[in-house]
Amino acid sequence: MSDISTTLAGIKLVNPFMVASGILDENGYTMKELLERGAAAVVTKSIGISERDGYPTPVIVEYGDSLINAVGLSNPGIENFGEEINIAKEAKRPIIGSVFAYNAEEFTKLSVKMEEYGVDAIELNLSCPHVKGFGLEVGSDPDLVEDIVNEIKSKVKVPVFAKLSPNVSNIIEIAKAAEKADAYVLINTVKAMAIDIYSRSPVLSNLYGGLSGPAIKPVGIRYVYEVKKETGKEIIGVGGISNYKDAIEYIMAGASAVQIGTALYKYGKGIFREMEWQLRTFMDEERFEKIEEMVGVAIKR
Amino acid sequence: MINLKIEENVKESQNVNTLYFNWDQDIRPGQFAMIWIPGYGEIPMSFSGLGRRKSITVKAYGSASRKLTELKAGDDLFLRGPYGNGFDVREGRKLLVGGGSGIVSLYPIADQETDALISAKTRDELIFKDRFPESRRFIATDDGSDGFHGFAHELLQRINIDSYEAIYVCGPEQMMYKVLQVLKGRKVFVQFSLERTMKCGIGICDSCSLGGKQVCKEGPVFNIEELIGNPEFGVYRTTYSGRRIRLNVK
Ligand SMILES: Cc1cc2nc3c(=O)[nH]c(=O)nc-3n(C[C@H](O)[C@H](O)[C@H](O)COP(=O)(O)O)c2cc1C
Ligand code: FES
Repeated sequence: MSDISTTLAGIKLVNPFMVASGILDENGYTMKELLERGAAAVVTKSIGISERDGYPTPVIVEYGDSLINAVGLSNPGIENFGEEINIAKEAKRPIIGSVFAYNAEEFTKLSVKMEEYGVDAIELNLSCPHVKGFGLEVGSDPDLVEDIVNEIKSKVKVPVFAKLSPNVSNIIEIAKAAEKADAYVLINTVKAMAIDIYSRSPVLSNLYGGLSGPAIKPVGIRYVYEVKKETGKEIIGVGGISNYKDAIEYIMAGASAVQIGTALYKYGKGIFREMEWQLRTFMDEERFEKIEEMVGVAIKR
Repeated sequence: MINLKIEENVKESQNVNTLYFNWDQDIRPGQFAMIWIPGYGEIPMSFSGLGRRKSITVKAYGSASRKLTELKAGDDLFLRGPYGNGFDVREGRKLLVGGGSGIVSLYPIADQETDALISAKTRDELIFKDRFPESRRFIATDDGSDGFHGFAHELLQRINIDSYEAIYVCGPEQMMYKVLQVLKGRKVFVQFSLERTMKCGIGICDSCSLGGKQVCKEGPVFNIEELIGNPEFGVYRTTYSGRRIRLNVK
């Protein structure tokens, strides 16, 4: 029987499937529930220094099985988040704290606090496409990215992941700026928009949002492939993974683990258990004994 | 986004209106829609009528709901849904327990064998009172201006609960928490329809979480057994940012 457990930046995972940041991971009880229902780890919603409401509704457009969201980084603020992490930790599986800020100093403060709360790794959101001053605006400036990553790496002991955006002109340049990170997370949502033709108006209150789900999977695959080939570094694949085949495609493109977000909308919380046994069946049939044997096998030199 | 036309706007009271529209769609009692009012936002609304003509009954509190109450026949109605699980409607004698606007989402359950306990702060805030004949309704007001002087759970204690096959409850969480205390341990089938801050309505954003369940998708309807021991029901609510606030219900 093949082994679907794996290791990512030294963190043991019972399977390669984690919950992506921003999807069902703001409330401690929800995170605990997802872990108990098969997710190997959860990445928390991106947390900032202070409490933030995010955008007014509508914050979601349904686009087939894909979504356009402009939740706007709503979060209770880092001081209020320790309680949620404590609740989630009852499931005894890894928790990855996602943080966002606009400079190295705040990013570091947040990461240090997350480490104090007992997270197993930090994920830096360098890529939210729809909030001014944060995310993408930070993540498309290589000097700033380098500053942020280097500063945090000197202050925290847990692994640090850099979540990069597909909305930049040269992702390799940004990846290289974030070289000190322990792994890259690829990709965040793709900047997008929807207009309602009867009201003749953009639907999202913020006008622009981020596209996620099956519509962006080929984009994610191409970035994972390209960045793995160029840098060789560990990668966590994310973007449109809805079933075990999508996950394996990401792994063969170079991902060591994957995150699942939007698919929870269509398939619900049972998706993790479902993917677990399907992955095991695939590996048995294709004679892979360990996940590591599949990582990057599709890369042509 | 689904685009429908308002057929009729009927005033129910000072600040409550029912909007009627045609929509060829199967909807279960207790399900809801996210109603978009362009320029004002998007709000969750349960259905108050599920016949050939559907309806929503809107109480004006914020700018979006006020705008909604002002829509006229011929105006556009934008929505997505229906969402949520809806009630498990049993055969036989049923009791609806509705606090404030809670009776709105329960109303589609009503048939010839259904009684209603309707409560509000004061007489003017009683909704749908006249839709139930006097012999089939129990009224409670906090200030005693109509019916029983007191809260819904106090009036419920005076009713023969065991004569019902099923009881359906919807209202403010404080009221539902107290109703749960009265009904727990009884052998009647009981369901509650809950309300939490909703943003996405489709189980993705976690703003409506209740002890690990998403009220928008796994709810809004929960059996009494699912709520007993729920770590958040009657204990916490969360703000629009997701910050946890302790409730003083117990
Ligand atoms: C509603 C929603 C909220 C999100 N919030 C965050 C966030 O706070 N931080 C972040 O790094 N990514 C956020 N994302 C992006 C996801 O983590 C993920 O990168 C993206 O959705 C692609 O994966 P998917 O197709 O599996 O959803 C969010 C996505 C959605 C749909
Ligand atoms: S409203 Fe978003 S998860 Fe329920």
